[in-house]
Amino acid sequence: MSAPIAAYEGILGSSVVTQLRRLGGKLRGIRVVHVNSTREGGGVAEILDWMTFLMRDLGLDASWEVIHGTQRFFEITKAIHNGLQGKSVTLSKKDWRIYQDVNEQNAERLRASLEAADIVVIHDPQPACLLKLCPNRKGKWIWRGHIDFSRPFGPVWKMIRSYVEKYDASIFSMSEFAQPLPHPQFLIPPSIDPLSEKNRDIDPAELETVRAEYRLDPERPLLVQVSRFDRFKDPVGVIRAYRMVRKVAPVQLVLAGGGATDDPEGKAVVEEVMEEADRDPDIHVLLLPPDAHKTINALQRLADIVLQKSTREGFGLTVTEGMWKGKPVIGGDVGGIRLQVVNHHTGFLVNTPEGAAHRIRYFLHHRNRIKEMGEVAREFVRENFLLTRHLRDYLTLFLTIRSGRNGRILYV
Amino acid sequence: MTLFVIQDCSLLIRTSGLLPAADLRELRDRIAACGGNVLFHHFFETPLRPTFDNPDYRNDFAVWAKLYLDDRVLAERLGILDPYSYLSLDELRNMVLGLIDERLKELTLVPRARPGDEFFFQEATTVVFDTGERIRHPRELAPAIRGMTNGSIYYHFLEARRRSPAGKDDFSSWLMGDGKKYERHIHALASIDLFFHSLAHLRADLLRALSNMESPG
Repeated sequence: MSAPIAAYEGILGSSVVTQLRRLGGKLRGIRVVHVNSTREGGGVAEILDWMTFLMRDLGLDASWEVIHGTQRFFEITKAIHNGLQGKSVTLSKKDWRIYQDVNEQNAERLRASLEAADIVVIHDPQPACLLKLCPNRKGKWIWRGHIDFSRPFGPVWKMIRSYVEKYDASIFSMSEFAQPLPHPQFLIPPSIDPLSEKNRDIDPAELETVRAEYRLDPERPLLVQVSRFDRFKDPVGVIRAYRMVRKVAPVQLVLAGGGATDDPEGKAVVEEVMEEADRDPDIHVLLLPPDAHKTINALQRLADIVLQKSTREGFGLTVTEGMWKGKPVIGGDVGGIRLQVVNHHTGFLVNTPEGAAHRIRYFLHHRNRIKEMGEVAREFVRENFLLTRHLRDYLTLFLTIRSGRNGRILYV
Repeated sequence: MTLFVIQDCSLLIRTSGLLPAADLRELRDRIAACGGNVLFHHFFETPLRPTFDNPDYRNDFAVWAKLYLDDRVLAERLGILDPYSYLSLDELRNMVLGLIDERLKELTLVPRARPGDEFFFQEATTVVFDTGERIRHPRELAPAIRGMTNGSIYYHFLEARRRSPAGKDDFSSWLMGDGKKYERHIHALASIDLFFHSLAHLRADLLRALSNMESPG
């Protein structure tokens, strides 16, 4: 459950909240519908949970719809997701037919609400073809791509592009992901909710409970990577880095994550990870349920160093979460991680398991740097990657797109 | 004295439609051809954007030259440019092009970024809205600034310099309405070095400049 907007004043100051109220006042009563493909698991669902609530708190008539699909549909959309992140995948005409059929079934259910809305925000490729299935739409439609589109696999992007190009605008997390499209492409990084179960402050006793539950040794450094079991997150690479460090330092590693209902590949990746871990008692592979927010929060706080060694990354909210908890992050030199991890200031960007091992050893030899960089990281997140900035960007976008103007200054 | 109307603003960033630049020559050609809004964004609007607070340089071209072209000489030359000291964006553009041309003549190879490290050109719309709040007397200015959003500070102190023909910030322009009474404070505002400031730091400097407002002169 999200907190009301007033609750953020304590963390961010009253001027930030005041600004949101002013923007909300300009958009009072407009009907906004967000659509994605899962209500649980993954960063998008977390964002939509608080965003819908806070938009309502600010006076907008906001709602969140989730499309329903078959197991086969989600296997296909996972392949689409992989293709958009650059993997060569094969999708047959029949697969694309199934993709469209499921969207048509969802359009039957959602059409009245979507066609009546002032603003519709479609998140990611799964529901992208809803627009063409709502011919009597009256509002503005925005497509929001959350993943790393920097080098999409051509045939998959070509098909998704044919749906996306008809939108009034699109949103990407950073300019590196934007693609040639015939409409304005806005750049809005995502964010975290500092008051959510996953990010709120935790009582030290609760931390110790989690430490004991997973038999983590309080005397030895702890490395933590939290993310879905997805090959792009490179959990196997993290284990390899751990092994290189383990030769010289008695570290422990936690790989914690869960699945999402729209990600059928996770099981296979977990098997690969377990094989690589090879029953090492200091590698803790934790399969957590989607609501294990408090456990994830505690693990990130118990960590000495947070890792996110992705090889592709839309943004990397787990990086933001780790930084918000005052931890430096060793992250893959890709996607949105580069927006957050600033070498020698908030952590280190790495390209290989060897690079990750080198930076882990650096921190273990310069323990004071863990604290110093962690403090910088937390303030960097406070200024740039908390939900209030994200919400402000969306409200500003709504005002701009409804005005139909694109100049340098817009007075509203 | 007229009322000071407190505005607030928020930046909405979008891609420019220009192809990314992969090397210094491409950067030069795109800067020569880009619209004024693009140049404005990469020089002036960086304080309102999610970026690390302590960069070596305040404009994106200097940062890119240092981090991705590994050309520290060019980064230093671009990094020292004060965009507010130019009368027009075209004058600023010509200065940047001159520096890049000079550097290209000095080099035997055109510096090139790795794939994925290209320079991406952006532009933005500044959405401005009336807060409904008004300042009636100069003595209310400092307390008002203390409570302003970063957007208000950016709009009135930085963005205003491009908006007003005289290149003045809104606070100084307003105080000048009272003749020479607040000359000392106006001078203090003009003395603030904008170069390394985040908006939070800028607020602190503004408050220092406007301290003792009750004892004008």
